Amino acid sequence: MSTATLQTKGLTVRFGGLLAVNDVDLDCRPGELTGLIGPNGAGKTTLIDAVTGFLPKNASGSVNFDGEEALGTAPSRLAHRGLCRTWQTLELFDDIDVRSNLEVASSRLTPMKALRDYFRGSDVDERIATTLELLNLSHVADRSPSELSQGQRKLVGVGRALVADAKLLLLDEPAAGLDRQETVWLGLQLRRIVEAGTPILMVDHDMGLVLSVSDRIHVLQFGKLIASGTPEEIRNNEQVIAAYLGASGGDE
Amino acid sequence: MRYFEFGILGFGTGAVIAAIALGLVVAYRASGVINFGHGAIAAYCAYSYNSLRTDGEIPIPPLPNPVAPIEGLFNVEIFNLPTFISVGDSVATIPALVIALLIAAVLGLIAHYAVFRLLRYAPVLAKVVASVGIMILLQGAIVIRYGSRAKQADRILPDDTVDWFGATLPIDRYLLLGLVILLTVGLWALFRYTAFGVATRAAAENERFATLLGVNADSQAVVSWVLASVLAGLVGVLASPIIGLTPNQLTLFIIPALGAALLGRMSSFVVAAAAGVGIGVIQSVLFLLEQNASWVPDLNIPQALPFIVIALAMILRGETLPSRGAITAGRLPEAYVPKLTRARVSAYSVLIAVSVLIVMFAPFRFRSGMNNTMVGVMLGLSLVVVTGYVGQISLMQMAVAGLGAYAVASFGTDAGLPFVVALVLAVLAATAIGAIVSLPALRTRGASLAVITLASGLAIQEFLFKHEGWFGSADTRNTDAPSLFGFEMGPNSSFPIGDGKIPSPGFGLLLIVITVLCAISVMRLRRSRLGQQMLAVRANERAAAAAGISVAGVKMSAFAISSALAGMAGAFTAFKLGQFTADSFGIFVSLSVLAFAYLGGISTVGGAVMAGTLFAEGIGIVVTEEWFNLNVQEYTAYVAGFFLILTAVYNNEGIDGFQRTQFYNLVRKIRGDRSPTPAATAEEVTA
Ligand SMILES: Nc1ncnc2c1ncn2[C@@H]1O[C@H](COP(=O)(O)OP(=O)(O)O)[C@@H](O)[C@H]1O
Ligand SMILES: [Mg+2]
Repeated sequence: MSTATLQTKGLTVRFGGLLAVNDVDLDCRPGELTGLIGPNGAGKTTLIDAVTGFLPKNASGSVNFDGEEALGTAPSRLAHRGLCRTWQTLELFDDIDVRSNLEVASSRLTPMKALRDYFRGSDVDERIATTLELLNLSHVADRSPSELSQGQRKLVGVGRALVADAKLLLLDEPAAGLDRQETVWLGLQLRRIVEAGTPILMVDHDMGLVLSVSDRIHVLQFGKLIASGTPEEIRNNEQVIAAYLGASGGDE
Repeated sequence: MRYFEFGILGFGTGAVIAAIALGLVVAYRASGVINFGHGAIAAYCAYSYNSLRTDGEIPIPPLPNPVAPIEGLFNVEIFNLPTFISVGDSVATIPALVIALLIAAVLGLIAHYAVFRLLRYAPVLAKVVASVGIMILLQGAIVIRYGSRAKQADRILPDDTVDWFGATLPIDRYLLLGLVILLTVGLWALFRYTAFGVATRAAAENERFATLLGVNADSQAVVSWVLASVLAGLVGVLASPIIGLTPNQLTLFIIPALGAALLGRMSSFVVAAAAGVGIGVIQSVLFLLEQNASWVPDLNIPQALPFIVIALAMILRGETLPSRGAITAGRLPEAYVPKLTRARVSAYSVLIAVSVLIVMFAPFRFRSGMNNTMVGVMLGLSLVVVTGYVGQISLMQMAVAGLGAYAVASFGTDAGLPFVVALVLAVLAATAIGAIVSLPALRTRGASLAVITLASGLAIQEFLFKHEGWFGSADTRNTDAPSLFGFEMGPNSSFPIGDGKIPSPGFGLLLIVITVLCAISVMRLRRSRLGQQMLAVRANERAAAAAGISVAGVKMSAFAISSALAGMAGAFTAFKLGQFTADSFGIFVSLSVLAFAYLGGISTVGGAVMAGTLFAEGIGIVVTEEWFNLNVQEYTAYVAGFFLILTAVYNNEGIDGFQRTQFYNLVRKIRGDRSPTPAATAEEVTA
C-alpha cells in the first residue's frame, strides 16, 4: 500500500450541502494505468480538482502523493512535484502556439532561470520534440491550439502534462470527442506512456477504452466509491452493472 | 459640534457618491458591467441642465467635421457642425430638469445599445476599456464645450438653512440625504418585489436558463441602464451647486462610488448607498480634523479616503464579485511573436532614420513632437507588458511614471548623483513601488483590478504628489539635464551639429536610443519563457497554475517590468520639462495613456509605437496640426475616448492589428492565394 503513487484516505468534497465526493479511499500504483469511471455527476472531475489543489476550501481528508500530503498545497507546487493533469474542458493556452503550450509547462521558471533565459535565449528542450512526435503533433507545432481538431486539442493537453516531468498523470476524459480510430490509437499511446514509467489515472466515458487499457479500475457513484478491481472484476461486479453499465448503457 | 456640522455638510458629496454607486450596482446587476463612465454621465447631465438654464442650449457632443482637413488645407470655411440646439433664451427649472434627465436616459440607451450590448460576450478587458472610453469621451466633451474652469451652477433645492439638532445648516443637505434614502428604498423594493427585479436576478444567476424561462435579459438591461443614468443625472444636477461644477470633479466621483459599490459587493443597494453617504461625511469631518486638530498629520487623508475604502472593500470582501453565469466567447487581442524578418528590419530602420532626421533638422514643434512620441512609446510599451501580455488592466501608469520623474529629480538634481546612476535608481524606485502597489492586485483580476489601480493612481497623485513637503514641495522640482561623460544632453543643451535650436538634438537622440532599447527589450520578452508564461496566464489562470506556472509571480514580474518602463518614461518627461510637475502625471493622463495604447494595439510593440505617435502633442498630432492647419490638440482626449470605444467593440487589436490584417490580405491578393487560411500573422507572410 505504501508504494502507491497516489493514495486518498477519506477524501471528501462538499459544495454547500452537496457531498460531491464522499469519503473516498483510492490509489494509483507505479507502473499502472488506473481507470476511474462513474455516471455523469458522480464526482470524478471534482475528485481530480481536489487532488490537484483546486478546491482548498471544499476538500477534506488526506491525499498522499509520492510520500507527502498533497491537500492544502497550491496547484503550481503540486505540478512541480510531478502531479500533472488535463481538463475535461481542455483549458489550453489559445494565445500561444502548440509548441509554446508545452514549453511553458516543461520546466519551473525561477527568477534566475527567467533572467538567463531572457538574456541568452531559450534552450532547446529535446523532450518537447519527442513528446510532440509521440502524440503525432509535430506537424501542427507552430499553429494555435484553437485551429486544431478536438482530438488534437485533447492531445495538446496531454502533452502539456507529460512534459512537466510528470510522476502521475491525471487525465479527465481524454477520449471525449475522438472517433473510434483515434480512441484506439490514444489507448496505445497511453499504454506506451505507462510502460515508459509514468503512471496514469484516467477518467473516461468510453467503457471500451477504459476496460481495455486499465490495469485497475475504481468506480464512483454519487460521490462514493462503490467498487475497485481489475477490468475483469469490474465487468462482472453486480453493483457496478446495476449502478452504471446497466442503467445508462455505459456511454454518453 | 463643529464636527457634527461638517458631518452634515458632507451629505452633499455623500449623496452624489451614493447615487453614482446605486447606478453602478443597478447596471452591474443587469448587465455585469462596471461602468467607469458613470460619474461622467452625472457630470454631463449637470452641465446640460446648467446650459439650458443659462443659455437655453442643449449641448451636442462635438462631432467630427469630415471636411475639416480640406478646410484647413485651403484655409476656407465650408460649413460648421452645430454644437448645440437652441431652445430659446433660458429654460425654466422643471423643463430644464426634464430635458437633462432625458439626456441622461439617452446616454444610458447609447451605453447599452452602442457599447455594452455588443460586448456582451466579450472579455472583461474589452468591457472595462470601453467604459473607460465613455468616461474620457464625456469628460472630453464637457471640457471642449465648457472649458475646465469651475462654473456657477444653477440651484434647484432651496437655499435656506434650518435649525435642526442645535445647528444651523443648509436644508439642501438634508433634502439630498432624504432623496438618496428614497431612491435606495425604491430600488431595493423594485428588485425585491417586482417581476422586473425577479427577472433581473434570475438573469444574473444564469442567463441561458433565464432565457429559457422567457426572461428577456436584453430588455432588463435596457431598463437598468436608463435607470442608472437617470439616477446619476438627477443627483448630479441637484448637487452641483454644492460641490461645484467642474468637468473633473463629478467624473472622478466614480472612484469613491466604486468603493461604496464594492463594499456592497456590487449587489446591495443599502450597503452601497450607506457607504457612499458615509464616505462623504467622513471626508468632510476629516477635512476639518486635518485643519484643526494638531494630532492629525496633514496628509491629505480626505483625498486618499476613497482608496482606503476600496482597499478595505477588497480585503473584507475578497476578490469575488458575484460573477454572472454568462459565457464569454470573445478573443483577446493577438500578441504576435515579433519576428525580425528582413522586411521588418528595413521598415524599422527607416522609421528610426526618419526619427533621427526629425530631431536633428526639423522645426521646433516637430522636434518636440518626436520627443513626446518617444515618451509615449515607452508608456505604451509599459501597458503592452501588463495589459497586452498578461491581460491585467492598469489605470495608474502615469502615477508610476510620476514616481520615476520625482525620483530622478531627487537623486539627480537634489542629491547630485550622475545621470546614469540617478536614472537607474529612479527606474528601480518606480519598479519597486509598482510591484508593491500590484500586491493587492495579485488577488484580483478584471474589473476589480482596474478599480484598484485607478484608486491607487489617485492616491499616489493626491497623497504623494500633492502633499506639501514630501513629494510636492509646491508641486514642482527642477531637473538637471542628463549628461554622459561630461557631454550634456538636455533639451536645452548645445549640440555640435544642426541649427543650434531647441529642443536639442542631443536630447532627441538620447530619447530615441532609450526608446529603441525599451522596444527591443519588450520584443525579447515576448519571445522569452517568461513572456510565454505571461500569455499562458492571460489565456487561462487555472490551467497556468496546473501547468506549474506561478501565476502571482508572473503577474508581479509583469507589473514590475511595466513600472520600470513607465518610470523610465516619467524620468524623461521630467528631463523634457526640466522639472517635475504633479500635473503632468494626473489620473486623466493615465486614462488617456490606456486609451492610446489600446487604440494603437495593446498587445504588440508596433501598437505601442502607434500609440506614441498619437499621444498628446506626439508627432502624429503635430503633423496633423501643422500640415492640415487643424486644432486637434484640444480634441485629442475626446477623440481618443471615441476611438477607444470603437476599438474595444469592433477591433480589439487596435491600429497595429488592423494594419497587419490588411497587409496580410494585400499580400495574399498579390500572390493570388485563395486557399482558406486561418488567422496567420503578417510575420509569416513577410518571412
Ligand atoms: N463548483 C461547484 N459548485 C457546486 N457544485 C459543484 C461544483 N462542481 C461540481 N459540482 C457538483 O458536484 C457533482 C459532481 O460533479 P463532477 O465532479 O463534475 O462529476 P463528473 O465529473 O463525475 O461528471 C455534480 O453534482 C456537480 O453539480
Ligand atoms: Mg467530469
